[in-house]
Amino acid sequence: MNLPVPAGAARLTPNEVLSAAFGRAPLGRRGLDEEQVREFLNRVEMELRQSLSERAALTDEVARLRDRLSGTDGEAVKPQDAHLQAVRILSQAQQTADRYVADAERYTRDLAGEARRQREEILADARSKAVQVLEDAHRQAAMAAATVEPPRGGVDMDTAERELDYIRTSSRVYRTHLRAYLEALLRNVDEWEKSESTRPG
Amino acid sequence: MDVQRLKDNFQHVGQHGEEVALFFYSDLFVRNPHLRDMFPIGMGGQRDKLLGALVRIVSQVDDLPNLVPFLQQLGRDHRKFSVVESHYPEVGASLIATLRYFSGTSWTPELEADWSAAYGLVAKTMVESANEEAPIQPAWWNAQVVAHERRRFDLAVFRVVCDQPLSYLPGQSVAVETRLRPRAWRYLSMANAPRPDNSIDFHVKLVDGGPVSSALVRDLQVGDWLRLGSPIGQLVLDQRSPRDILLVAGGTGLAPVKAILEQLGQRANPPRVHLFFGAPEVDALYDLEDLGKRATTMPWLTLVPVSEAADAGADGSWRPGQPPGVRQGLLPDVVAGYGNWHGHDAYVCGSAAMVEATVHRLWRLGVPQDRIRYETFLTGQLGNPLGNQGEVR
Repeated sequence: MNLPVPAGAARLTPNEVLSAAFGRAPLGRRGLDEEQVREFLNRVEMELRQSLSERAALTDEVARLRDRLSGTDGEAVKPQDAHLQAVRILSQAQQTADRYVADAERYTRDLAGEARRQREEILADARSKAVQVLEDAHRQAAMAAATVEPPRGGVDMDTAERELDYIRTSSRVYRTHLRAYLEALLRNVDEWEKSESTRPG
Repeated sequence: MDVQRLKDNFQHVGQHGEEVALFFYSDLFVRNPHLRDMFPIGMGGQRDKLLGALVRIVSQVDDLPNLVPFLQQLGRDHRKFSVVESHYPEVGASLIATLRYFSGTSWTPELEADWSAAYGLVAKTMVESANEEAPIQPAWWNAQVVAHERRRFDLAVFRVVCDQPLSYLPGQSVAVETRLRPRAWRYLSMANAPRPDNSIDFHVKLVDGGPVSSALVRDLQVGDWLRLGSPIGQLVLDQRSPRDILLVAGGTGLAPVKAILEQLGQRANPPRVHLFFGAPEVDALYDLEDLGKRATTMPWLTLVPVSEAADAGADGSWRPGQPPGVRQGLLPDVVAGYGNWHGHDAYVCGSAAMVEATVHRLWRLGVPQDRIRYETFLTGQLGNPLGNQGEVR
């Protein structure tokens, strides 16, 4: 029941398991770094699988050698042996299928996890940019207000109102720009997602 | 029947772990190729379930008051997998062949006779309970998708209409199978109280790498057919209690809680209800719009959305995309910090970590344990209130 195992893959040793150390989870989360733990568990799983399949192969080998010693080797195949052989072949096929399914699931999990992280980054980035744009707008509005000449003697209502209008308009323009920028970003995320869901395989 | 001999033999065979289940299914399919189609392509989870059920059955073989109800439920559960009486001898033959193979020289005719007798009893109990249920309700319900709404890249809400009435208690769940992932059943909670038109709402969160949840969130379409098993679950309303109600829902744990909320709304005089709905990110509070609308017509309901990532900034500051009134923090902390839940019944559903923390906090605040009902889902997606027994086949 041998399974294909990546050639040259470094085997996990009991010492490594014993001395495994994980980083703390990122700020705001509790416990250990989930990513590191999951990666390590993957390695443990691979090692277990390989060890189990090696053990199965050795069991088969022992049975074969026993048969040879007892002189039953080389005779015509008995029906019971043929059945066991069929069971063994089907088991191998099933294990290979299981392996492919597990690999595919792991692959999508990693991919989706990565996409999720990138999405968070892009959104956080957009959020901080938006806040910055807004602060800039407030600052400029404040500066504009400060530079408006204070009315001397007779109140120049016209000028003041024109200034106010100007400030209102520019803040509206800023908001529109900001909204367009954020919507474009969200569209990007949508398209990215769509392209992922239509990607074959 | 020598019970100790059976247990000893099973312990001996069990040392081979997963190989036992692998051999069993291969033997079953070599002898009965037509049975292969009843199982999913990947069999890893299947083997775990088989071993889990076998371990439980063998360890309780001399504890019938506990074993019999388990077997009866198992028998009823298998109806939706199209298992019929004639399958049981086929499974029994492969089970005996597997035990014989791994027992090696320790296998005796007496052992074989004992195992045959024990399996016969197990099969009889399962078949009888399945047959008892058959005239009362169908093996499964066919349900057609009439609406599917993606609320976020990893969250969807969809509505199905069943081909015949499906009676359940709000808070319960059913096993669901989609043709997009044949023979892979997952538990989903009904998100509404039963309606006269037989329609049911479900909430699904996509689990990274989860084959069924990703299909239900991304690929399910209006017109698709699903199969639903019979309703199960203990997270149901204590109808006799006069106390006020605390509802706590994390993520799609909202579904059963929302069904309970609807049930409360049907009362002439609903109790006072607090509903805390939490998610890590604000935009994962996927049902806030609908809940908000309901809250305006239900004066007895207080809705508190909670998010770790909520912007607790100064009032009036512009918070991109953030609905008003979202409290910042972890769900258990916010619930515990909100007030005195002493005279309340609590219903909690969400991830294992959230549920555990919330139940613990409530208990320390003096809410008696028998007034807290809760349910967790395994991987953030599909709750299975009966552990693995519901999917053993």
